[in-house]
Amino acid sequence: MKHKCLIVFFIVAALMAGGPNTSAASEKITVVLDWFINPDHGPLFVALEKGFFSRQGLDVSFQVPSNPNDPPKLVAAKNADIAVSYQPQHYIHVDQGLPLVRIATLVATPLNTLVVLADSDIKNIAQLKGKTVGYSIGGFETVILKVMLESQGLSLDTVKLVNVNFSLSPSLFSKSTDAVIGAFRNFELNQMDIEGRPGRAFYVEEYGIPSYDELILVARRDDVKALKFRKFVDALEEGAQFLVNHPDESWRLFIRGRKDLDNQLNRLAWQHTLPRFALRPGALDRARYQRFAKFLKKNGLINKIPQLDQYAVELPIAHP
Amino acid sequence: MNNSVKKDARFERRPVAPSVTLEQVSFAYSGEQIFSSLNFTVKGGQWTCLIGPSGCGKSTLLRLISGTLREGLSGRIHFSDGSSHKGLTAWMSQKDLLLPWLSVEENVCLGARLRGEMTAQKRSKAMSLLEDAGLGEYANALPSSLSGGIRQRVALLRTLMEERSVILMDEPFSALDALTRLKLQDLAARLVEGATVLMVTHDPLEALRLGHRIYVMTDRPAKVSDALIPPGCPPRNPGDSAIISMQATLLKRLEGRDNS
Amino acid sequence: MTFIRPMVILFGLVLIWQAIVLVTGVPAYILPGPINVAEAALSHTGPLFEHAMTTLLEIIAGLLIGTLLGALNALVMIASRSVKRWLLPVLVISQAIPVFALAPLLVLWLGYGMSSKIAMAVLIIFFPVTAAFYDGMRSTEPEWLELAQVMNAKPMAIIRHIRIPAALPAFASGLRVATAVAPIGAVVGEWVGSSKGLGFYMLHANARMQIDIMFAALSLLCIVSLTLYFLVDRAMIKIVYWQKEGNKKEESHL
Repeated sequence: MKHKCLIVFFIVAALMAGGPNTSAASEKITVVLDWFINPDHGPLFVALEKGFFSRQGLDVSFQVPSNPNDPPKLVAAKNADIAVSYQPQHYIHVDQGLPLVRIATLVATPLNTLVVLADSDIKNIAQLKGKTVGYSIGGFETVILKVMLESQGLSLDTVKLVNVNFSLSPSLFSKSTDAVIGAFRNFELNQMDIEGRPGRAFYVEEYGIPSYDELILVARRDDVKALKFRKFVDALEEGAQFLVNHPDESWRLFIRGRKDLDNQLNRLAWQHTLPRFALRPGALDRARYQRFAKFLKKNGLINKIPQLDQYAVELPIAHP
Repeated sequence: MNNSVKKDARFERRPVAPSVTLEQVSFAYSGEQIFSSLNFTVKGGQWTCLIGPSGCGKSTLLRLISGTLREGLSGRIHFSDGSSHKGLTAWMSQKDLLLPWLSVEENVCLGARLRGEMTAQKRSKAMSLLEDAGLGEYANALPSSLSGGIRQRVALLRTLMEERSVILMDEPFSALDALTRLKLQDLAARLVEGATVLMVTHDPLEALRLGHRIYVMTDRPAKVSDALIPPGCPPRNPGDSAIISMQATLLKRLEGRDNS
Repeated sequence: MTFIRPMVILFGLVLIWQAIVLVTGVPAYILPGPINVAEAALSHTGPLFEHAMTTLLEIIAGLLIGTLLGALNALVMIASRSVKRWLLPVLVISQAIPVFALAPLLVLWLGYGMSSKIAMAVLIIFFPVTAAFYDGMRSTEPEWLELAQVMNAKPMAIIRHIRIPAALPAFASGLRVATAVAPIGAVVGEWVGSSKGLGFYMLHANARMQIDIMFAALSLLCIVSLTLYFLVDRAMIKIVYWQKEGNKKEESHL
């Protein structure tokens, strides 16, 4: 009799211990990040670690892509549910026929920056004339450079463009380039500080580029009516909110179980990214998105301006 | 053979080709004592045949004389005219060793080419050798297009082109069919007149056709028999009764039954 | 010289490709059909041709320099046994390092111009060429060498007149491999840092989700590589002219 009770006790204990989040119907969502896990993904991981996703009945897993061009394609091909993408590139993808819409914003400011060495004699954009500018291929950088130069009365062919792939700051250090574009202001600048060779930044939105959201979340157009996306955005909003209120604890949640992320660069980047997260991830500023579409069309990056609801939506409320 | 007078004028040989003497020669290879204090002389100006079972050291002996084998040799090998064997011997192997990328004429001139001594004279000498042997039409052909018999003929001409007084041959005709072999034996006998030739063969009839003297090499370490001297001048008629009976003697010696 | 068979095979492959696209309904941004790719190629012939010229130049320069260095290296190793004892292990170790890992270093040292791409190509083909040539010379028919020794040939003459020609078939094999592989070096070099070339152009098109243009560039790269291989193959047949008959017939691979 005593043994039977013990056995039942252990079985019940095991069942109860087996996963605190095993709720009735847990929906799976795969999110493909744009790059390796980094502080730009703060709200996502805060929501994950605080259980905001599971409270909504979502079982979220994050994937790191092998190729930064893959995430939108994976979602379009139904191999993932959500991708972290970039607002400028998103128009180009939609223009090429990818059936994706933006459902939320992660980082609500541009992060792209033109960077020179702080000790270089380039103190304003006009002094780029005749210099070498390095870039990473993203599809957008030549346009940024062209517009920034034109704001100072220079044309694009006054500079020499060189693709340095992702070695942006090394190319500055080795003096093979005088300036680089495509550096993220919360990252490259901190990295250069750490190396002891600080940089000087020129923020693209201050030189003629209309402001945009650097990181957004996209999903398949036909699927967004599904409730899980609404729930995802709600959980994300909670994550962003928690981050604002508890920045230090949020950092600890970010690196929990991911010890390799706990380094000096990430710690600095975290501080610089905090003010840039979208406080209202689900909100859509229609005029801002349409303004950017016009900008891209004017500069020849897209063939036609799409209808807004074809590429960006605010998901409707869950239960009206 | 009315060509022999012309030939001697064309090839300036020493009055009598030198003899090759091995004195107390010992040689071991991979633990095997091939020769132990061997004394042996190859008579100058004559064709000597060395016959024996496979593996007893005949080819090794040739290589010791040519100089390609040196390590592990003790004793003396000397030529009667006092020169060392370096640059004094010509070599002919069972394989024709024709370089496939050179034409027949270029192959005949191989020695001169390798020593950097090519001249127009050498080239015309090669051509006349070829024509004399009936191979003039093949002068510009590549070896791969020729039969084995023709190739070995070219190899023979290449050997003669060297104009050496001592010619070493390692079973040069054994890979050919019987009829071609006979023809080449005749050609060789005609052309090498006057040189000191040491030929290794495993064919008793060949030895009897071509050799002025025949030695049988047997045992390990190798021992050389007394010379067998067939009557008449090479190339001898294979149907000759003396030749036929000497073949029997040779075979007995090879088997080790006749210990003379 | 018959081109019919390769053409038929190519045509068949293209048909299968189009069939796959039609049957599976795969979207153009994942796998464009041959017709899309052809259209993209036709509307971008200018830049495609320009970039192809850059890459072709990189490949050819890499092949020439790499072959020369590889051949010289093999000759040095044959001529001096002591040099070979030190050089051969270094060679083998260098081959163990994936060239892709060296690419960023090369770009850092040699800059973003053509020289880093040429250096990549050279690195990739150096080992096949030198190993093939060295092995060919090393395994020269020993009786030829013996004959040369009896003929009193100097060591350099033996290398020049016997070892080298005897090794040409092996060298030709090495060169064929090098030709097939050199384009990889050039393109990887372009990926790591460049402003011109088909590799660069493919990256660009990919970033803009213009997959049809990317495939057009890729197809052009294939055509360039195949043409180069064909030319080198034919040249090798001429160089190794004596292998025409018998069981070592030098057959064209195409």
